[in-house]
Amino acid sequence: MHNSDLFFNNLPLFVPLIVLELGLLIAALVSLYRRQTVRHGNRLIWTLAIVLVQPFGAIAYFIFGREVD
Amino acid sequence: MAILDLQRVTKRFGDKQVLKGLDLTVPTGSIFGFVGENGAGKTTTMKLILGLDTLDAGQITVAGQPVRYGRTVANQVVGYLPDVPAYYGYMTPTEYLTLCGRLTGIRQPDLANRITAMLKTVDLPQNKHRIHGFSRGMKQRLGIAQALLNRPQLLICDEPTSALDPNGRSDFLDLLASLRGEMTILFSTHILPDVERISDQVGILHDGVLQVQGDLNALKRQYARPKVQLEFASPEIAQQAVAVIGRPATQVATHVAVPFRGDYATMVEAILKALLAAHVVPLVVDRQETSLEDIFREVTA
Amino acid sequence: MSATLTFWHKEWLAAWRNYHVLILAVVFVIFGIEAPLMAKLMPDLMKLALGDQLSIKLPQPTSSDSWQQFYKNTSQIGIFLLALVFSGAVSQEVSGGTLVNLVTKGLPRYAVIIAKYLVAVVQWVVAIGGSFLITWGYTAYYFPDDKSPHVWLAIWPVLLFGLFFVAVVLLGSTLINSNYAGFLTAALVFAGLALLNYVKAVKRWNPIALVTDNLDLVRGTEKITHILPACGVAVVGALVLLGVTIWAFNRKRL
Repeated sequence: MHNSDLFFNNLPLFVPLIVLELGLLIAALVSLYRRQTVRHGNRLIWTLAIVLVQPFGAIAYFIFGREVD
Repeated sequence: MAILDLQRVTKRFGDKQVLKGLDLTVPTGSIFGFVGENGAGKTTTMKLILGLDTLDAGQITVAGQPVRYGRTVANQVVGYLPDVPAYYGYMTPTEYLTLCGRLTGIRQPDLANRITAMLKTVDLPQNKHRIHGFSRGMKQRLGIAQALLNRPQLLICDEPTSALDPNGRSDFLDLLASLRGEMTILFSTHILPDVERISDQVGILHDGVLQVQGDLNALKRQYARPKVQLEFASPEIAQQAVAVIGRPATQVATHVAVPFRGDYATMVEAILKALLAAHVVPLVVDRQETSLEDIFREVTA
Repeated sequence: MSATLTFWHKEWLAAWRNYHVLILAVVFVIFGIEAPLMAKLMPDLMKLALGDQLSIKLPQPTSSDSWQQFYKNTSQIGIFLLALVFSGAVSQEVSGGTLVNLVTKGLPRYAVIIAKYLVAVVQWVVAIGGSFLITWGYTAYYFPDDKSPHVWLAIWPVLLFGLFFVAVVLLGSTLINSNYAGFLTAALVFAGLALLNYVKAVKRWNPIALVTDNLDLVRGTEKITHILPACGVAVVGALVLLGVTIWAFNRKRL
C-alpha cells in the first residue's frame, strides 16, 4: 500500500479539506498584501507562516498578525 | 436661558482633585470657548457633561434636564466631537453614520438622506472606502458629520483644532462659525487665537474652577491694559529708550511696551517727545489691544 | 431593545469584516471532515508506521473512533479558538475608545454586552452545529455500525458549555484591558474546572463534564441524566457571569 492509495481511496474527505485550506491560504495572503502593516513580526514572516504551516499559519495570521481596525 | 449649567461640580482622580467646585453656564445660542492648559480638566468636564463619568458632587443640567451617569437623556439634544475620534475601521463612513443615526433614533428613509447631505457638507466621498484608510483630517470631518447628524441643540467639541494643520484649522473654525444661530457650541482649546476668532463667550479653567467667564468683549474691557508698542533698531537702543521714557515699561529684545490709561494719542505724544529729546528714534509705534492671552496670563498667574 | 438590535447588526458586520466568521467556519468544517478521516486512516497509518513485520490484526475503525476524534477536536481546540477569537471583544473597544461616541448617543451599556454575547453564542452554535452535521454525514456513510447509538444526544452539552464559556471570556475581556485577557481568563477557568474534577463530590456538578463525557454519552455508557446537574450549573453560571459582566461594564470608564 502506498501513500497515494490512502489519498485516492478517501477523495470525498481529502478534496473538501484541500479546497478549504487553499481558500484560507488565498484569503490570508490577500488580506496580508492589502495592508501596509502587521502586528507581531513582518510581512515576510507571516507570508512564510501562511504558506508553509497549513492551515494554522493562516489562522494565526488572522487572529494575531492582522492589523485590527 | 442657559442650555448648559454646571453647579459646584467636583471630581477627583485618586489623590488629584481635578475639579474643585466648577460653575459653568453656557447661554443658549452662544459659541463658548472653554480655555485651559493641557491637563486642566477640560476633557474631564466634557465627559461629565456627557454622562460618561460620575460626579463626586454638584449638578449638571443640559437643556433643563439633569445629567446622570450612564443615562444620557440628553443624547437627542447634544452632539459630541471627541478630541481623538475613534471609529470602527472596518466600516464605511455611511455605515458608521447609519449606526450613529439609529442610536439617536433617526428613522429611515430620513436617515439615508441626512447622511448623504452630511457627507457632502463635510466633503467626504460616499463610497465603499473604509475608515481605516482615512487621514487625520478626514477622520475629523467624519467626526463633525456624526456630531451634527442628529441636529443637536448643543454641540460639544473637545480640542477640535489641536491636531489639524493650519488650513484644516481655519476651515474647521469657519465651519463652527457658520453654525452660529443654529446651535449652541461649547468647544475646549488651549489655542487662544481660535477662541478670539469665533467665540462670543469664554471661560478660563484653571486650578479646578473657572477663573473668569462671560462675554469676550466685556472681559476685554474689564481686563483692559492697553499698551503702546514701540520697536527699535536694536536691543541696545530699546534699552536706552526704556531709560529715557521714564515710565513703567517692559522690554523684550527690540520691542518696548508701555502700559497706559486714558487717551492713546496723548500718551504717544508724551513718549515720542521724551524719545526725540534724547535722539532715540522708534521704527514702529503701534497700539496693542488687550488680548485673550493677556487675560489668560493674568487669571492663571 | 432597538439599541441592542442595532449593536447586534454592528457586531455581525465586525465579525464578518474582521474574518472571525471565516476563521470559525473554516476551522470547524475542517474539524467536521477530519474526525471521520482520521478514524478511517488510522489502521492504514499504523500499518505504514509499523511496516509489514507485524502480523497482528488491527481492529477495524468504528463510528465511535470518528466521534472520539470529533469531541477531542471541539473540546480541546475548538473551544479555545472561540475564546481566542472573542478575547478582545470588550477590551479592544474600551482601549480603542470606540464606544465613547456611541454611548453618548444613547447606546445603553447592557446592550453592548448582550449583543456581543449573543453574536458569539450564535457563532458557536452554528460552528459546532455545522461541524457536527458534517461528521455525522461522513460517519453514517463510512461507519454504518451500531457503536454510536446516541449521536444526537451528545452534542447538546457541548452547545451548552459554549453558553458558559463565552460568558467567561466576556467577563475577562470586560474586567481587564488587554487583548488576551478574555482568552487567559477562560483558559484559567477551564484549568480550574479540570482540577476540580479530581474532587469526586462535585464531579456531577462540574460544567466541564459537558465537554468531557460526550463519548460516553454517544456510546450509551453514560446517561444524560448523569450530567444534568452540570448542565444546570453551566446555564445558571452563564447567566450569573453575564449579570456580573454588565454590572462591571456599567462601572467602567470608557
